[in-house]
This record gives sequence, C-alpha cells and structure tokens, in this order.
Amino acid sequence: MMQSDRMNEAAAPDAAAASAQPPLIRARGIAKSFSGNAVLHSVDLDLHAGEVVGLLGENGAGKSTLMHILSGGLQPDMGTIEMEGEPVRFGSVAEGIAAGVSFVHQELSVIGALSVAENLHLGRMAKTGAGLVDFRLMQEASRALLERVGAGHIDPRQEAGLLRAGEQQLIEIAKAAGRKPRLLILDEPTSSLTPHEVGGFFSYVREARAAGAAIIFITHRLEEAMSLCDRVVVLRNGAIVSERRPAETNRQQLIADMTGKPAIYEHRPRSVRGGEIALSLRGVSDDRLLEGIDLDIRKGEIFGMFGLVGAGRTELLDLIHGVHRHKAGTMTLFGKELSLRDPSQAVRAGIALVPEGRKTAGILPQHSVRDNAAISSLRRFARGVFSDRAGDAGRVERHRHSLGIRMASDRQAISTLSGGNQQKVIFARALMADPRLLLLDEPTHGVDVGAKSDLYEIVTREADKGLTVIVASSEVPEILALCDRVAILSKGRLAGVLERAEMTEDRILTMAFKEH
Amino acid sequence: MQAGLTFVRGLGRHREASVFAMLAAVAIYLSFASDYFLEPRNLLNVGRQASVVAIVALGQALVIIARGIDLSVGSVIGLSAVVAAVLMRDTGSEAIGLTAGLLTGLACGLVNGVLYTRFRINPFIATLGTLSIARGIALLMTGGIPVPFGGFAEFVGAGRIFDIPVSFLLMIVLAVVVHLFASRTVIGREIYAIGDNPKASRLAGVNLRAIRLFVFAFCGLLAGLGGLILAGNLASADPNLGMGYELDVIAAVILGGTALSGGRGSILGVVIGALLMALLNNAFVLLGISAYWQVVTKGLVIIFAVGLDGLQRGGDDD
Repeated sequence: MMQSDRMNEAAAPDAAAASAQPPLIRARGIAKSFSGNAVLHSVDLDLHAGEVVGLLGENGAGKSTLMHILSGGLQPDMGTIEMEGEPVRFGSVAEGIAAGVSFVHQELSVIGALSVAENLHLGRMAKTGAGLVDFRLMQEASRALLERVGAGHIDPRQEAGLLRAGEQQLIEIAKAAGRKPRLLILDEPTSSLTPHEVGGFFSYVREARAAGAAIIFITHRLEEAMSLCDRVVVLRNGAIVSERRPAETNRQQLIADMTGKPAIYEHRPRSVRGGEIALSLRGVSDDRLLEGIDLDIRKGEIFGMFGLVGAGRTELLDLIHGVHRHKAGTMTLFGKELSLRDPSQAVRAGIALVPEGRKTAGILPQHSVRDNAAISSLRRFARGVFSDRAGDAGRVERHRHSLGIRMASDRQAISTLSGGNQQKVIFARALMADPRLLLLDEPTHGVDVGAKSDLYEIVTREADKGLTVIVASSEVPEILALCDRVAILSKGRLAGVLERAEMTEDRILTMAFKEH
Repeated sequence: MQAGLTFVRGLGRHREASVFAMLAAVAIYLSFASDYFLEPRNLLNVGRQASVVAIVALGQALVIIARGIDLSVGSVIGLSAVVAAVLMRDTGSEAIGLTAGLLTGLACGLVNGVLYTRFRINPFIATLGTLSIARGIALLMTGGIPVPFGGFAEFVGAGRIFDIPVSFLLMIVLAVVVHLFASRTVIGREIYAIGDNPKASRLAGVNLRAIRLFVFAFCGLLAGLGGLILAGNLASADPNLGMGYELDVIAAVILGGTALSGGRGSILGVVIGALLMALLNNAFVLLGISAYWQVVTKGLVIIFAVGLDGLQRGGDDD
C-alpha cells in the first residue's frame, strides 16, 4: 500500500507520524460474492485518521459492496478488518455506528413529514425533565450542525420534505456529522448540490479531516475528487487497480484506470446541415418560474440547456413535453403550433423525454426490459386494440445492439440491470417512439463513465441522422462535450445562447450566475 | 419460524400456484370431512357462488393493478339491482331495466374515476364516499323494501345450461376476455405500467387520467352486472344486496396474487381466489359451523392474503 502524502495540509498529522501508528482501518483480503458472482476479489485498503480518500469506479465495480462491508451492512466472505490494530467485525450497521463508522448513502432517507431538527436527531432525541421531547435544545444543536456542513440557511423547524434534493442531501451529511464519526463514508454526496453548497460541504470535510476523522468520498465527478482528496483509489471489477495522489495524476489517467477507455469529454466536431427550425419558442412563460423564453432550435442540432438548480431547466422541458401547460407565448414544432395538455399528446406529436431521476421517473421497476422499452411505442405499433408483443421483441433486440445494452434476456426485470444499462433502456424507449424531438434531462446522472461515453455516442449518432436533441444538464463538461449550442437559464429567464465557438466553462457559469 | 417465513415467501413467488394449492388443500380436506362435498350439485353451487365475486373481482383486479382500490362495489351491486328492478317494474320493459342497471354501475364507476382523476381525491376515500351514497340511494328508491325481479336476469342468475349454472359460464367467458384484454391490448399493458410507476408511465406518454378513469368505469360496470346476476338469482332486488361484498372481492383479488402496491397480478389468480373464497363459505355450511365464525374467517383470510403480499416484498418498505 502506498502511503499518502499530505505535505500541503498543515492541520493533518504528518506522514511519518501516521505510519508509526496502526491505521484507523486496515482491511485485508476482503472478498465477497453474491449468488456465485464475485463482486470483490481480495481487496486491501488502509485508511488513516485525518485523510480524505477518493473512491472512484464505474457502477458495478464493487464500491458500494466494499463500503457496506466497512460499515457493517454486509459481512465479507473472506478477509479481516482491523481498527487501530484491533480486529473488528461489525455484525450490523448499528454496531458500525457505535464504533464510529458512519455511511451517508446516495439515496436520500430524509423523513419528509418531520422537521429538519427531528430528522437530525432521529433515534436520539433530547428529552426535557418531564420526559417530553426538548425541541429547543434540538433546534440549537441542529443549527450548529447545519452551520458546520454549510447549510446554515436551513431553518431546523422547517418540514424536511419541502426542501430541495440538495438541501436534503446536506441534512443527511449533517446527520452523520452529528454522530462525530471516526470513519465517514460519503456516497456521491455532491450529486444534487449547487456549486455554492459544494463549497460549504468541502469545508466541512476539511474540518472533519483536521479533527482526525478518516473520510471516504465516492464520486463520479473527477474534479471534485482531485480537489478534495489526499489519495484517490480506483476500483475496477472488484479489485483496486490504482492508488494515486491528485497532484501526480489527471482526468485522462483516472478515466483510463476506471474504464480502460480513452477520454470521453472531447467534443467531436459536427455540423448542422440546413436551417430548418425544429422547435420555436416565443415568449413562453408558466405562471410560476419561467418568463418570456424565446428560442429557435434547428433540425439535427444538439442543443444544450444549462442552469443552476432552480433556474428552470426541468420546468422548461416540462412545458415542451406537456407535463405542465404553458400560460403565455407560443411553441411550434416544425411549423405546427403545440398546445399540449398531457405528455401523451407530446409523445404523439413526436416529442420523447428521457426524464431526470431514473428510479422515480424512468423505470417501471417490476416490468421486464422489453416492457420498459416498449411502453412509449405501444400505440404506435398497435394492431387495432392489441399490442404488437412479437414485434416489440424484434425492436428491443435491434436497440439492444445499437445502444449496447448488456443483459441476459429482454425478459429479465429492468431492476436487475446496472444504472447505465437501465438508462440505455430508457433511451431505447424514447427512440422506439420515433421522435422528431428528443428531450434529455440530466441523461447521464449517476451512470458510470463507460455508459456515459456510450450515451454521448448514441446522442451524436441520432442527431447526425437528423434527430433534434435538447440536453438539459447541470454538468458543464457534459454540455461542452455534446452540444452545438447552449442556452443558459437563470432564475426562470433566458440569460443567453452561446454558439459552439463561444462555449467555455467560464462563460457558461458566469451567465448562469447572472442576476436579473 | 425462520423456515416458516422462508416457506411463505417461497409461496409468494408463485402466487397463482400457491392460491391453487390452498384451493386444492381445502377441497381435499372437505372431500374427506363431508360426504356431500363431492356431489355435483354442491360443486356446481360453489361455482355459482363464486361467479358473482369473480366477475366483480375481474374489474377490481384491474383497478388494484393500476394502483387504485374500489370500496364501493358492494353498494354498486345493490344500487344497480334496485334501479334495474324498479325501472323494469315501472316501464314493464325488461330491456330498459337491464340496460339501466348496467349503466348505473358504469355511472358509479365513472363518478369514482372522476373524483380520483379530476378532483384528486384518494380513491380509498372517494370510493368510501360512493359506497355510502350508492347504498343510501338504493334505500331511498325502495323505502328499504325489496323489489321483485325476474325474467332474463333470473335465467342468468339461477338458470343452467347442461346442468352448469349460467352465471358460472358467464364468469368463465368474461375471465377469458379480461385476461386477453389485460395481457394483449395496449390499454391492458398501460394499466400494468401505471400501477408500477405512475410518474414514469405518464412521462413515457401513457395517458394516466384516461386509463385510471377507464379502470374505475369498467369495475363499476362489472359490479352492475354482478348486481343483476345476484338479484336474478334471488328473484328479488334487495336494497341491501351486496352488502360487504367489497371484502370478498378484494380478498379474492389479493389472494389471487395481485399486489396492493400495483403493477402486478394475474386474471387467472383472481378467478382461483374467488373460487377459494366460495369454497371456504361452502366449508362452513357443510361442516355446520356457526355463520358468525364465517365472518371472522373472512377477515383472517384477507389479513393473511395481504400479509403474504407484504412478506413477498420483504423489507422493501422499511
């Protein structure tokens, strides 16, 4: 094992001192199989007090399994774990927590009906002398905790369910912080945070490190791993393939470690032929956020839509897809005015959507891959009232090849596929509806680098064939890699449209932060 | 205990097979416990008793697969029968009476559907309301006194073709039709999809409101049909007809392997579930056990069936 080097961190103990004592956690030969499939092969990992370790890997690489084993949620088939030189075995998550291991999961577990303070103190609520819940004490403690993770603006008395996903994520982190963990495991904590919130969260992580905690930071965002971590560990197919210091590596190398594939964020130059306008918006508003949006999107164009959380990206896609009705202005698709009251009308008009939130808005979890892919095109291929089941099989088979969906059979439940493959099935669903306009809302959220690169290729290929694509994304690298032009939204209004030649990360972000 | 749980979960994976096994177990037990059980007359009677529950359960199954529930079916049975009988008496036309009975069921279903889709009232509450309203109207129309009923409905409710009850044959035909509808048509597949994930289905282009309205209307129509058969069988439309039927119907659906959480369920299972309910009723009569125990057992069966559903899903909700 390579020792980490933390020369730049004055607050952290120096490397020599760290190596003198046993590490906080020493895992040796950890192996785990599920029903005969080996997920982890003999993983060795040392974690020292006062270090932040980035854990990278594609979906299915074994990151979650390894973290569940470290935190007591799973038992290894083989291998040992030592904590400060003493062998430990956590029989349950509760035992892990008692020993100081806290795991903040990617899925939010905030209880919406309770207040923020109650969420933060769940299972250990303070009581008054009379045995009642001491709300005042809990609120004060909550304020301090929220402040620490950079969420001081959240009122502890507020109902947690009313908060944005990013704010709920911060509550999860504050909950873990309240347990004063010695090992803190964070699984994609920043996926729904705004850049400002990420800053606050980073300072908390640095503070916890200075206080002597070991932190494992799982992320798909390489920039974050590079800027926050002392050491970056890459897991591939259940084994650790590299351990690097951020100062001595770069994105390309890390992506190669994770996938063995070349860099994916390189834009492939393409030209949009012909000037036919596919979608035109004039003065489009809803009665909540969006105001006076004017846009013209050309046929065959990959058109980006960027904005901070709350800028109105999803809301605008919702209007174009008929989820909500626009209250003012006109929308025309290939010269024909759209007046949509329901997404079913949008799909019939040739507008398909790959929604944000694969689990909540994308998959039909109990349905097979085939049924998931076919649901948008049932009516298109129907024979009278009957659906064309036999034909579905052939169409799904073709898309399985053209999209590279990895599965044993199209009769298997979609929930058994990896996240990236599930997303490809949702793409297949949209393409099978034969759209003239494809809307993508955060199309690569939570998918691994390999699947991401596949999805970019698919989008470019379809656009080359003449499909018009709108990509709403909160990731600037994604916009830069994919889009021919980008519209930037800020607080419900159009802050501007950038041509390919003008698109840089700086300009996009500056426009996104523009106030009205 | 652990082994027991594993066994029950295993059953849960093959719900049609498990409800069929229960059906077989009760049947085998009864064939030993009662000399009369295997008499064709008795078996055909069980088939007749199962038919109304099964027919209404076909509609209820689609509602539950779409992640709804219709508690009003028992009252709709009563109201449809009363409307049919009163109109038949007053107009002297059997056709008008029967048509009006079916349309009453359809109208009740549409009201449930509109309350759910337009006014966004939770179907549990909306249909609890119509349960009370429909029963009240049936009582108001008749002053609480049963109305004589007969003719074609009596043939369907009490008649036989080659010794087999007409209502049982009708149930088989309807079950085949609904099975094909649910598994082969576009609307059928969309019903399963919206039950599995309504939001995703809507975004994928399924007209959520239209499908929801459809399943409630269809369920109401079948409840109306059930009312005509039941009243025909008794040659009388009692305003209290069908009281408590929602329990039998929902029990049959859930016993047959339909998930209360939506998206899953089979029509074959529903029919077997209804047969099992009827067989249990028959058992109490044959074994001479107090009818009050029958009421208790119905409750136990429904809890058992829903418990199976919960165990099958394991810790998904926790």
